[in-house]
Amino acid sequence: MFEPVADAIERDDFCSLAPIGWLHHKMQDSFFLVVGTHSCQGFLQTALGVMIFAKPRFATAVLDEDDLSGRDALEGLLPIVEAIVAEHKPGAIFLASTCTPEILKMNITGCAPPLEEKFGVRVYPCRLDGFDPSYTQGEDHVLEAMIARAPETSEKNLVILGCLSALEEAEVRLECETMDLPVPRFLPNESALDLPPIGPNTVLAAVHPYLFGSVAYAARERGCAIHKTIFPYGPDGSRAFYEGLAAAFGKTVSYEAREREAWGACEREVEAIRGRSVAFISDAMLELPIARTLRAAGATVPLVGTPNIYKKFHALELARLEGVDVIERPDRFAMYARLSEHKPDLVVANLNIANALEGMGFSVKWSTELSFQPIHGFNGAPSLFGLFAASLRRHDALAKIRGKTQTEAAPIDLDFFRFDGAPLSLRAPHALREAPQPSSPLPDPTGATSAALAPSPSHEVRH
Amino acid sequence: MRAPKGDGYGTIMLAMFERLGVTPPLSVCAMSEATLAGSQANIPAVIREVDERHHPDMIVITRSATAAVLQEPLDGEISMMPDKVNAEIFLAGAHPLRDTEVSAFALTLKEIVAHYAQDVERSPKPSVNIVGPSLLGFHDHANVTSLRKMFAALDIEVNAVVPLGATVDELRTLGRAWANVSTAHELTAPLFAYMQARYGTPSVHALPYGEAGTTAFLRELCALLEIPADRIKLAARDAKLLWYARTVDAHALSGKRVGVFGTPTTAAGIARVLHDELDMKIDFVGTYVLPYGDWLRERVADLTSDVIVTDDYRVIAKRIDESRPDIMFGSQMERHSASAFGVPCAVISPPAHILNFPLGYSPFIGYDGANHIGDVVNQTQVLGLEHHLIETFGPRDQGLAQAMPEGKDAPSVHDVPALATHSASGAVAVAEQILTWDQSAEKLVARIPFFVRKKARANIEKYAREKSIAVIDERTVLAAREHVGG
Repeated sequence: MFEPVADAIERDDFCSLAPIGWLHHKMQDSFFLVVGTHSCQGFLQTALGVMIFAKPRFATAVLDEDDLSGRDALEGLLPIVEAIVAEHKPGAIFLASTCTPEILKMNITGCAPPLEEKFGVRVYPCRLDGFDPSYTQGEDHVLEAMIARAPETSEKNLVILGCLSALEEAEVRLECETMDLPVPRFLPNESALDLPPIGPNTVLAAVHPYLFGSVAYAARERGCAIHKTIFPYGPDGSRAFYEGLAAAFGKTVSYEAREREAWGACEREVEAIRGRSVAFISDAMLELPIARTLRAAGATVPLVGTPNIYKKFHALELARLEGVDVIERPDRFAMYARLSEHKPDLVVANLNIANALEGMGFSVKWSTELSFQPIHGFNGAPSLFGLFAASLRRHDALAKIRGKTQTEAAPIDLDFFRFDGAPLSLRAPHALREAPQPSSPLPDPTGATSAALAPSPSHEVRH
Repeated sequence: MRAPKGDGYGTIMLAMFERLGVTPPLSVCAMSEATLAGSQANIPAVIREVDERHHPDMIVITRSATAAVLQEPLDGEISMMPDKVNAEIFLAGAHPLRDTEVSAFALTLKEIVAHYAQDVERSPKPSVNIVGPSLLGFHDHANVTSLRKMFAALDIEVNAVVPLGATVDELRTLGRAWANVSTAHELTAPLFAYMQARYGTPSVHALPYGEAGTTAFLRELCALLEIPADRIKLAARDAKLLWYARTVDAHALSGKRVGVFGTPTTAAGIARVLHDELDMKIDFVGTYVLPYGDWLRERVADLTSDVIVTDDYRVIAKRIDESRPDIMFGSQMERHSASAFGVPCAVISPPAHILNFPLGYSPFIGYDGANHIGDVVNQTQVLGLEHHLIETFGPRDQGLAQAMPEGKDAPSVHDVPALATHSASGAVAVAEQILTWDQSAEKLVARIPFFVRKKARANIEKYAREKSIAVIDERTVLAAREHVGG
């Protein structure tokens, strides 16, 4: 499954702890105990602690030097878990191993059974570390740990895999009712203890493209049938997804009219997207299906960077991206160069470089939002396109006002933080400084090399 | 930074909080599964790329805790770099497991200065170094501006601001300054000790917090620089805090109980302003920077003996719950904790969130900072937005299902007749009709986040009326979402 590659550089990114944000929100009786370093703790506090109404149901057991010198992991965890059980009374605790325990080969998984026995609370061991290609795969590991504990069955049933909102779940449930399919079971649920039975006659349908590991695990361990269609993003993806579900239960159902109706409902948003170009330089592993449905909506997609591609799992999506420059594990600066060739109307990018891209003159849509907005299914399609439409409309509107003013500040760069010279001016007024040139990596925009010929750093894989 | 890529989230904070329009000057040489299998770090490649892309004078190399555990010989790799790069390469000595963000900052700052420091002549005019502000620092950009304004009024030259925006040339000549002033004692103490020993540079003991505090700070500085203190009143022209304290509006602050928790400097500085200049009652003071607990105790000894030194935010949360101060002054963590108990909280210390990286000018130190502290007290007390929201809607984490038990959906039930009345003005038959929500639809709509639920209900009902649907069920809810939005 894992292909070793040379250490990629410039790969700062969210790690797999990030999905704790949406998973702990979904599973209301869950608690996430992260065994890691101060960096893990800092990330959780900074990125997830900002949910202002939340009494956080996650914590970090910070490793100290005793742990490095071989202290038994369980010994350190006992008082922590005891306190969590007393204070939060969780239905289940997710015991997350991170980078450092992996390196130290600490047996975090082995701590789960004794903790479970001692405190009478379900403990799911899982690996949420920074070695995954994409931060979204934290959800993959959590679901794998839950599948391991799911009851076995020989019934023919339907399990929908992947964290969805109540509205998205309702659509799937109602469509299954309409098609007279078994009532679908979801994983995860409101309760971390609510596990659907999974067996050899289960049809397992993953709704997120990053759930490769848990799907493979279920197929291997339980022999269940894997639902294979494109993913249920956009009217086109939703149609294929539901028709495929029907087929898995021996029925032929046409969603052609439904897809048409859904496109009609999306028209207000699609109108703003049609004919515009959108490039992806993001890291959520949602890029392939979303690029696909944007193309179906009439956008052009010249370039897609995505952190990882599982060839079989993503084959149907890749097949629909013909003509798109799809790059796996993209190099940041090589992507900058390609973007300056393509000059897309919108760039979908992670938070760490979103502002930098705006500073270079691109219009940016931040990518992380795609991970936690309810954008699945026919129902979610207007919201999905709405994210892009709103972004394009906003950039268009602001471009108009920017065209009329001469006072627009240059992007904040490092010189902004220089306090040079004259005592009373304190520093040169920001707006009057020379606007920075697009950073050096951008090649001559008139350059003749086509993007397809742009040099590809060795750790990139082109599809 | 040699680290697993997730440890590079600092670049995201840097890009977001400081709103950098350029690629953040922090690169991660990512550890991968291959690293675990024994593959070597490719540090030279990263150094070359950083050198080419960012053109720095200096590249500081550091390791995250995970990399430290792996015990890779980074110095060996660096020394064997075959290609010449323009930047000077500096391996930071801070230990990712033993040092905290505070001690690592303080140590690295001292090491870097010591690396560059040269013997230089003292500047002809009285001058200072402003030491401590940095990227991602707490209101640091504004704090420096506030200090510079005052020093300009006093005709004191600013020799260098370190490290925020400092060049290596400035680091070489820090010894020119007649005195050092700090924006955060815990970040600058090792450097000041070094500079005292090497150059004999004195530093100001008083903390520049509050109007009276800033005056004391400037008096001490003037004495160190041997310049007359009478120009201080020029620097204080805009100071309003002590006058504000006399105005009727502020009288209610007397005796209000406050808790103050933060870095040693912010906790000591803010507690003194609240007590000395606004006549508030200090319930407790605390810091999470453990080695500076005694320093803080000494600084606030005349304000309270109740000093809490802990890096466990739950200890402070528990204390807020027990003490129920009228206003809490803390870090972002205390803001969360206090909001759970309905205690208003002002953020006066890192760790902070983007709210503390304002577009406008809002320093915490100097005379301008004193004014801003007055505003913060005022706004926290009067508005307390989160307090209001929680009172109205109930805490979110209890689960929406619990917050809105089935059949007891009080706020939204009341919404229905109100909406019907409004839309009835059009005198259309369907608009008059009272819509019924079946149980499944109620249950589904209860799962919509509370802050958009009211709008969603209105949209769903509008849709139902348009479609002449009398009983709203789950399908109506979904269809409305698809066609109307919300």
